[in-house]
Amino acid sequence: MLMQRSNTCAFVFVSVCTFACFLCSAQTPFVNVTEASGIRHQFVVYEGMFGGGACVTDVNNDGWEDVYLTGGMADDALYLNNKDGTFKNIFESSGLTDTKKFVTQGVATADINKDGWLDLFITTITERDSARQIPRAENLVFLNNGNLTFTNATKQYGLNELQSFSTGVCFGDFDLDGFTDAYVGNYFFGYEGSLTYINDSDIVKSSQTAAPYLLRNVEGKRFEEVSAAYGINFKGFGFGGSFTDFDRDNDLDLFINNDFGYKAMPNVLLQNEYPDARLVERAKELNLDLPINAMGTAIGDYDNNGLMDYYVTNIRFNRFMVNHGKGKPFTEESKAKGLDFVSISWGANFSDFDNDKDLDLFVANGDLNPNGVPLADYYFTNANNTFKENARKVGLNDYGIGRGSVVFDMDNDGDLDLLVVNQKAVLEYPVATFTNLFRNDSSIGNWIKIKLEGINSDKNGIGAMIEVTADGVTMIREIDGGSSHLSQNSLMAHFGLGDATTVTSVKVIWPGGKVQQVTEQNANQVLVIKEIPDEEETSLAIIISVLSIIVVSVLYLLMRKNKTMKRKQDVNPILK
Amino acid sequence: MRRTLNTALSFIIVFAVCCSPRAEEPLLTDQAVATAWADMTLYVTKNTPANSPTYASRALAYIGLTMYESIVHGYPSHASMIRQLNGLDSLPQPTHHSYDWLISLNAGQARILKRLYNQTSDDNKKKIDSLEAYFVQRLAYSRDEQVVSRSAAYGQSVAEAIFEWSKSDGGHRGYLANFDKTFHRDKTPGCWEPPLYGQAISHRPLHPKWGENRNFLLANKELQLPLMIRYNQDKLSDYYKECHAVYEKNRILTQDEKEAALWWGDDPGETFTPPGHSYYVATLVIRKANPALIKCAETYARVGLAVGDAFINCWKWKYHFYSERPSSFITKHIDERWESFWPDPPFPAFPSGHATQAAAVAKVLESLYGPEFEFTDDAHAKRPRDRFRNVDFKPRSFKTFWAVAEETANSRFYGGIHSPQDNRVGLEEGAKIGNNVNRLNWQKEPMYADAKK
Repeated sequence: MLMQRSNTCAFVFVSVCTFACFLCSAQTPFVNVTEASGIRHQFVVYEGMFGGGACVTDVNNDGWEDVYLTGGMADDALYLNNKDGTFKNIFESSGLTDTKKFVTQGVATADINKDGWLDLFITTITERDSARQIPRAENLVFLNNGNLTFTNATKQYGLNELQSFSTGVCFGDFDLDGFTDAYVGNYFFGYEGSLTYINDSDIVKSSQTAAPYLLRNVEGKRFEEVSAAYGINFKGFGFGGSFTDFDRDNDLDLFINNDFGYKAMPNVLLQNEYPDARLVERAKELNLDLPINAMGTAIGDYDNNGLMDYYVTNIRFNRFMVNHGKGKPFTEESKAKGLDFVSISWGANFSDFDNDKDLDLFVANGDLNPNGVPLADYYFTNANNTFKENARKVGLNDYGIGRGSVVFDMDNDGDLDLLVVNQKAVLEYPVATFTNLFRNDSSIGNWIKIKLEGINSDKNGIGAMIEVTADGVTMIREIDGGSSHLSQNSLMAHFGLGDATTVTSVKVIWPGGKVQQVTEQNANQVLVIKEIPDEEETSLAIIISVLSIIVVSVLYLLMRKNKTMKRKQDVNPILK
Repeated sequence: MRRTLNTALSFIIVFAVCCSPRAEEPLLTDQAVATAWADMTLYVTKNTPANSPTYASRALAYIGLTMYESIVHGYPSHASMIRQLNGLDSLPQPTHHSYDWLISLNAGQARILKRLYNQTSDDNKKKIDSLEAYFVQRLAYSRDEQVVSRSAAYGQSVAEAIFEWSKSDGGHRGYLANFDKTFHRDKTPGCWEPPLYGQAISHRPLHPKWGENRNFLLANKELQLPLMIRYNQDKLSDYYKECHAVYEKNRILTQDEKEAALWWGDDPGETFTPPGHSYYVATLVIRKANPALIKCAETYARVGLAVGDAFINCWKWKYHFYSERPSSFITKHIDERWESFWPDPPFPAFPSGHATQAAAVAKVLESLYGPEFEFTDDAHAKRPRDRFRNVDFKPRSFKTFWAVAEETANSRFYGGIHSPQDNRVGLEEGAKIGNNVNRLNWQKEPMYADAKK
């Protein structure tokens, strides 16, 4: 879509588009069900600043995913899934109202203390009611009590000491101790402790670039800021990042988005040197040091070659960085792959929306508030590893001021739905701009969803790599610890299967490299895979050896009897 | 640049700490003291957050003026700027006792720099103190203690008086309000829009009221509003041609033009800003010409006043016309995918601030040193290569002062952020501003008061 910068033109343009859309709106795969779902949300900016995000969680472990939304200057919301296509905002009764004191930005979920319940990490830029000379505040941790309420554990986790202007947060167990750690992007210079006396020097410093936080989760009890210890020594206008295993060496690396990369710090790729406690910058040599206004990242293997590719959103020109394997620089292929459009983009999500065994791409667009030019979102359908923009055709060309976006299966029907956070317009705006929930009604193709239950690893398998093979095609997903823009997708891995009614294999590679595999699974189900505990690995090895000896003996006996038999190779227990 | 300054400063500080004045130390010249303070001024400018060309231009005006006023009474040939500048009615006068003017200059520079850069870090303030202490140590050992303290006190009192005067000009502590959050203007065709490929985070324009600040010279306040080719979408219009020229130029930039674009970029986030660059050129000229101390101070004062008024006038005009950057027009009417070679600054286009201040400074330096002056500008020589644009920072040589001004202006055209008329008018108006500075009575007798043109 042509980006117009004049309101009048834009209004006419939008009206025409809306009309055109009305004409062809009879059957779109995606249906805007926001109103019917009971979700009513607008992110309200603080002084024209950033936000906000959403995260998909499951507050009550009922298998129906819920959504947490940050509100900025407005209240946050926790939408509990009523299992009937509607949601109920339980924010006020949930013990989360301490967030009202703050201008919230990003959010992510993980079971921080490994008690079986998903907790919340919410980033803030400042306090809401005080016109602070230096906008700064602590980020917030809320522990899930298991009864639809949370307890504010910010202080307990040591976060009240870190006064920062924070944007995105993401989870990942980078030190492989089984407790999920976090990375927090900071935008403006931060302070430790409280500022009692503020002079001019403090004030001018406050508009400078910030160091990020690398927060090591110490046995689920507190967070320890370890960025210096891990060799992180850059400052940037950070928008957070994502933990991802770009080099497939079974530990989580970190891909970081920075705003104004062409004049301050560009994007950063930190390669995990586990077992050494070190993260080494590799973006320069791998061509990921994007000098752009990086807002967010979609992670996915678009061509099913076993390597994660990265789509980075930007002002005007987004970048599609294709992975060519260990040691080889990424290449920018947005033009070659049909992703070459001009807009202002924020959230982005790779998902197989049409269940045809390849990843499609959604991109949330929105003007820089308070400019009021409506920009439609993008939906790119993947066909033979190139993309075609089909937002209007599929019913996703919303013109609100888009920011964070998340993917999940709200109705557990096996295809992926979308939630897109929209900002309230500061000045006049020609169309409605509310957070939207788009239900995917396409009901085509088979699918399988994998839900992980970690024991030694993260409780929900955040950062685990899952390989599913069906009809000879192997697809990979990582359990998302936070991506898109200030957001986090579903903790379940979804795979579209096309016509395949069974999957040949599901292979889980837990962070650290432990592999679990199951074979011959039916399509159209949620497969729960529970981690085999580490302690049993040695005894398991013995059992397998003993079994092998028995099997060999039996085979020998059977062969002697001139008989053959088929046997499944399943040795690992599966719990469904 | 930063490394050079750091090395130079640590050298000086090490000297100050380790050595007592000895005969074998290199001779400390008057010029070395004056230029060391200019170096320190630019070091602080560059290394203080919330830096802006507007605030820097103002600080340089007061710092240069302080240097001049702290010594002018030691030179019967020269006249104070009292009652010559707009609203400067009095300054402390020396008594009949004897003074060491270099000590006065030293104390005055340290004081005014710390006052105007109150927002700089404690480390930088310590650097200022160290430099001052070093010079005191070098200069004072052979002097009468009373002369030393009297001279230092006088320099400080001039600095304090100038600082007090500065408070009422509209730019005091301007670094706290670079981007006015309440600023709003309705959109009109061709009006300025926040850039999408920009230098600043703010979507609001820099110092919208800077043009209302008190001019240093009444003559500059009275300059007429320049003429601007008005907005027109028509492909045959002069306005369209202006923007199309930028678009065309950006397609065929030579390596030398790219180098010029980056050399004169002087982004306030990374450098000492365009007026700082002009102040640095003054230092290069002084180092080469090696004039008497009073002429060193006069050079910095004239350059400071030139850039100070250049930014006030230029900002007044920028916010009068509130004109768009070429990128806004080009992406709407010529090429949707176009991106300027250099990111857009966060303020309206017409006329160019780079051009206005560079022309004002060229006129001032021409008047002091003659129009022909060969020198090499090494301001950014130590900066690392811009690997995203494949451009090196190579020193640039000039034969005339006007060539510097023209290249400064053209560099914005190469950067794709100014149209030809922004630069042409900037140069024309800047020349008037500089000439007005030259017309002040710097000398009591017309010794070399030869204000050319």
